[in-house]
Amino acid sequence: MTTPTNVPAPLIEVRNLYFQYGDGTQALEGVNFTLYPGETVALLGPNGSGKTTFVLQLNGVLSGEGSITVCGLPLTKETLTRVRAKIGMVFQDSDEQLFMPTVLDDVAFGPLNQGMGEREAIAKAKLALEQASLAQVWNKAPYHLSAGEKRRVALAGVLAMEPEILILDEPTTFLDPPAERNLLQLLRDLPQAKLIVTHNVRLAASLASRAVFFEKGKLVASGSVSEIAERFHWTYSDLAPADLRYSAQRRF
Amino acid sequence: MHHVLLERWSQRASPLHRRDARAKILALLVFLVVLATTPAGAGAILTTYAALLAAAILIARLPLSGIVSRSMVVLPFSLTFALISWLAGEPWRALALVEKSYLSTVAVLLVAGTTPLPLLLGGLERLGAPRLLVLVAQFLYRYLFVLSEQAQHMRLAAACRQGGATVRGRNGFRAASGALAVLFARSHERAEGVHRAMRARGFSGRFSLLHSQRFGARDGAFLLVVSAFLVLVRFG
Repeated sequence: MTTPTNVPAPLIEVRNLYFQYGDGTQALEGVNFTLYPGETVALLGPNGSGKTTFVLQLNGVLSGEGSITVCGLPLTKETLTRVRAKIGMVFQDSDEQLFMPTVLDDVAFGPLNQGMGEREAIAKAKLALEQASLAQVWNKAPYHLSAGEKRRVALAGVLAMEPEILILDEPTTFLDPPAERNLLQLLRDLPQAKLIVTHNVRLAASLASRAVFFEKGKLVASGSVSEIAERFHWTYSDLAPADLRYSAQRRF
Repeated sequence: MHHVLLERWSQRASPLHRRDARAKILALLVFLVVLATTPAGAGAILTTYAALLAAAILIARLPLSGIVSRSMVVLPFSLTFALISWLAGEPWRALALVEKSYLSTVAVLLVAGTTPLPLLLGGLERLGAPRLLVLVAQFLYRYLFVLSEQAQHMRLAAACRQGGATVRGRNGFRAASGALAVLFARSHERAEGVHRAMRARGFSGRFSLLHSQRFGARDGAFLLVVSAFLVLVRFG
């Protein structure tokens, strides 16, 4: 997946976005960003650089100054409901996203808000759960699920709304390697354009066609994941074989 | 992972578990009314109620001893009032007070132990309970576990740093109040996060709940038979 050369209509277009929190913190300063169909873009940057604040602007949960267009709709109070139907957002803390008493109730929450009848909402929810390989947990309470299952239920909750764009905030936090692998496979198979806020360069490299880098509220660079990672030294120091040997000897 | 005993009970299968939540709530209501209006000293009637509850517990395949012991939670309160009645020279009234409050608790536990909470709340809502109240109960139930997990993590963290020493008195109070303050702040933050997640999925102020249960002929028959029996025992 690469940025299309014949430039189709963008899915998200952000121009000169500024945002200040109530306590005076300038969280975003003149951000310009475009997301094209089929793209997966990783949002990299230090903690507090404005990545999450930026994605929360895209579906109007936070609103700053500047212009945001989603699927051709300028984001305003009037278009908010339609814009939110186009963007599915999976939050970092699954416990915040799974607030209903059972998995099915939770996944059906979005479709019901879209005005669907109960039967249709249940059908959509069950389909989304199947898509996330979670059909067997539909009647469980969210706190009975593992972290990986919770994350996938949260994803099913937004998939049930059939969004055109998926936004994922640190999707692999708290996941063990098998759960992370499952999630990555699931995300790879989804056709939607994606925006992924992450610190995990490995995740970014395996999913994203492009990366952008945030620093102090500004989008300072855009390029391939490897370019961005190299330019900003955005890598974890890998363990050298010598370190592993040392670690093996020190095992107790 | 947490398990609440009542919840585990409510996930079992029995004829009582299969009844619609509304039928059980209404039957409970009838039971509480006939129980409350049973005169003091009517030992035979109260014994019949107790036998009915015991039979229902057995039909529901719930542990009799578990419900009997857990229902004792009400005794400190009812015994206090019973003692006052006793001292006021009304021993029969005192006895009835303890018996009635205890049987009421057993009945409530029986309904809660045979109905998963989401269905119970759905049933209450469909019977006309204020939606806001139902939603508050639902959120409380959902996040009670998250909060208690956070509290446990904090306790563990505190225990790790205090070594073998037990912190009591002024310092213990300070530590506990600090932990409570942090829990409160975190709960507030979480509430904002939940609200954000709800808005992101199109929430605009009106909550829609799924109602998966249907009130069938068997539920109607259950309600009718139980109510008729209770009224017959009380007034027959």
